[in-house]
Amino acid sequence: MKIIAGWSWLLAAIVSIAAAPSARGAGAPQRIVSLAPSVTETIFALGFGDRLVGVTTYCDYPAAARRLPKIGSFTSPSLEAILARRPDLVIGVSSATDPAAAREIERLGLKLRLISLAAVGDILRSIVNIAQLLGAPQTGTTLAANIQAQIERVKRRVAPAPRRATLLAVGLRPLVAVGGKNYLDELITLAGGKNIAADAAQPWLNLPDELIVARAPQVIIEAGWGSDRGAPARHWRDLQSIPAVRERRVYVYPSDKILRPGPRIGEGLEEIARLIHPECFAPGARADQGNRCEGSRS
Amino acid sequence: MKVLDRRKMLLVNGALLALLLLSVIASAIFGPVRLDLAEALRSPFSADPNAEIFFRARLPRVLLGAAIGGGMAVCGVVLQALLGNPLACPQMLGVSGGASLGGILGLIFFPHWLLPVAGGLLGEISWTPLAAFLGALISMMLVYRFSLFHGRLHPYHLLLSGVIFNSFIAALIMFLNSIVDFYQAQGLLFWLMGSLSTRAYLTVAFIWAYIVCGFLWLWAKGVSLNLITMGEEAALQLGVETGALQRQVFVASSLMIGAMVSVSGMIGFIGLMIPHVMRLIVGSDHRLLLPASFLAGGIFLCWADTLARVVLAPAELPVGIITAFFGGPFFLYLLYREGRRKPAL
Amino acid sequence: MNPAIEVSELSFSYGRRAVLDRVSFAVERGAMLGILGPNGSGKTTLLKILSGVLRPAGGVNLAGKKIASYGRRELSRLCAVVQQEPQIHFPYTAAEIVLMGRASHHGALALEGRKDLEVARASMALTDSLAFADRYLHELSGGEKQRVLIARALAQEPQILLLDEPSAFLDLKHQLQVFELLRRLNRERGLTIVAALHDLNLAAFFFPRLVLLREGTIYRDGAPIQVLTEQTIEEVYGIRVRVDLTPANREAQLSIRFLP
Repeated sequence: MKIIAGWSWLLAAIVSIAAAPSARGAGAPQRIVSLAPSVTETIFALGFGDRLVGVTTYCDYPAAARRLPKIGSFTSPSLEAILARRPDLVIGVSSATDPAAAREIERLGLKLRLISLAAVGDILRSIVNIAQLLGAPQTGTTLAANIQAQIERVKRRVAPAPRRATLLAVGLRPLVAVGGKNYLDELITLAGGKNIAADAAQPWLNLPDELIVARAPQVIIEAGWGSDRGAPARHWRDLQSIPAVRERRVYVYPSDKILRPGPRIGEGLEEIARLIHPECFAPGARADQGNRCEGSRS
Repeated sequence: MKVLDRRKMLLVNGALLALLLLSVIASAIFGPVRLDLAEALRSPFSADPNAEIFFRARLPRVLLGAAIGGGMAVCGVVLQALLGNPLACPQMLGVSGGASLGGILGLIFFPHWLLPVAGGLLGEISWTPLAAFLGALISMMLVYRFSLFHGRLHPYHLLLSGVIFNSFIAALIMFLNSIVDFYQAQGLLFWLMGSLSTRAYLTVAFIWAYIVCGFLWLWAKGVSLNLITMGEEAALQLGVETGALQRQVFVASSLMIGAMVSVSGMIGFIGLMIPHVMRLIVGSDHRLLLPASFLAGGIFLCWADTLARVVLAPAELPVGIITAFFGGPFFLYLLYREGRRKPAL
Repeated sequence: MNPAIEVSELSFSYGRRAVLDRVSFAVERGAMLGILGPNGSGKTTLLKILSGVLRPAGGVNLAGKKIASYGRRELSRLCAVVQQEPQIHFPYTAAEIVLMGRASHHGALALEGRKDLEVARASMALTDSLAFADRYLHELSGGEKQRVLIARALAQEPQILLLDEPSAFLDLKHQLQVFELLRRLNRERGLTIVAALHDLNLAAFFFPRLVLLREGTIYRDGAPIQVLTEQTIEEVYGIRVRVDLTPANREAQLSIRFLP
């Protein structure tokens, strides 16, 4: 009797160990294909970069991502390349991934998740969602909370200063500005600025010069690959009535931290805030000391 | 017997010139932003927002629009005569496609290269419009070569070469569109749909001089253009060296179109619509049709640009969308009218 | 005095296809000549060569000079052509079309002068087309269009008038009108007229001299009686006909009946 009980117990133990969720999470995807650079960055930031088996040609951050196999571009991924990687999860962005391609991916039997990255809140939520999909919800919540804290710190720092009219352009010829309904518009507000094209219905728009002159931005930031790194001020030289031009507050911001709705958004926000409100980041000023943003005029 | 005389020439052109001046001024006054004109005129060179809006932001682009609208219209007139086809337009020669492709390649591969003008004294211009013009020249030479038979440019072959060339270019551009990133894609849109956005008076002056020269040269050929619309044989028998005329008109209009597209991207339908409208109003005699179309084209593009700035303010629509919006339905109407007019064979 | 047109040993080929083979004939000033022949016999090519549209190596003199030595404008003041069917895609009035005939007389940059208007008006009066001078060409009937084209040719003030099957698309009444006009122009103004024709009866009736072409060579050259015999018609056109002569008239009249 004892022997039978002993063997049953052993059997039960073996069965339960085999059926128990693994240390990394039961059914958690091990082979992931990312269809967007921000998704790639998020997965790496969550510590699961080793599970990525396919990324887009634009995924270049962190450096390890460049060595991963490529499955096509941001807007037109290659279905064959995705299939070849045998993923058990494909993550894309709802605004960017071609819906026809998305349908095809699902039709081929692959598990596809599209996340929305239209607003700053969406970005934070997406980090949590992706972490959940990867079976590590705690990591996601922590990362999102860190980024949220970064955002809050910046908000507090620039709070005492008056909001500065800001133009954020991602290209000069032709001039493409950030409009409304764009997470970048939110970032500008969070950084203590006021997007001069916030009333636009489109997320990106061509702004005619007369409108820029009329709305008199106090800060002009040129971001994106379309900007001429060498000479930001030259383009505006003949429009001295614009405060940003007159007061030499035209900046080139070549980094894509803010252009990717991913985990570096907090860093990018702070860098932008330093451009819009340098006086609030002066050495010695600390947000928790009731800093008045020395020397802030309008 | 009603005939074209000096009085009609002066009257029509005078009226259109006055309308053009009015349109230029009105387009500089009106826009998505309210302008205090008195302030602007009081101190034109100061750093006053009104002055800058009027003189630096609006006036250059309005003047550019007048030149390019006029140039496109004139090229439309002469191409319709050259091809013997009232449905021809500048886009058909393939030159504008080549210019767009050149500009797009410049945008992708060397967007920041600058070329100093007059040793840097007159500022710098981007290499991209130069690349576009180079594209235009290459296209022109290719289409010319494919259409030249026994020293004559046959309208049929010209049309065919141009259309095939355009299709090929369009395919290349679509391919490039699929591989560029988001920011370059915006630049692509400029080349395909056009924009008059400019603050450089130097560019505007240069284009004006260039287009006016081309226009005057073509206007001088007014009688020959009349004759060539009678048919190639009839034109020969009436005293025109058609071979030489075809070659000259093709090269002149290609050079004009190439320059215009290099500066403002492809703005279509002007070369198709304006000649037709003006034919209805002033007749088909090219001695009057050419200047009238030149002026009318300028008027049209001025207003189209104002509309482009106002319609979706604060955003600026590519002006080619406005011209296409008017041009598309107009083209259909033309086809309908041509079909009705031709007798059943 | 030089003949208006002198053609000697004229040969012409389109690529390797020989269209005219050693054609020789002369046309005196004030003569009226009809050129006959089935399709492909070289009629149209011959007219194109005479009007300067095609440039063969040699063999054609107009008014005593080699045709190649004339400039285009000069040539168009000497020789005018009336085409078959104008393919004009743009809206011009009849008056504008006629005035195009004056282009080689006034300068390239000029508007028409008083003389140009007078000549144009006279030409339209002569062709009975003044009534629709200000109507658009595409609104006119075939016969009216033809008269406008003839007026344009006359406005060039030519010495030689060439016509390519002028009655091809006209109804009977208009065909007769056109040929009677040609006869008047020939008699009253001494205009040298050469016309390519396809209607044998009208050719015989109106033209005192006919040249019959067959596969690029001259088969017969002479008065209608000599050219249009039953035998020649059968040999050239491949059809059997019966030719009736009207005796005792100043002009020999033929009437050709087609036999089944």
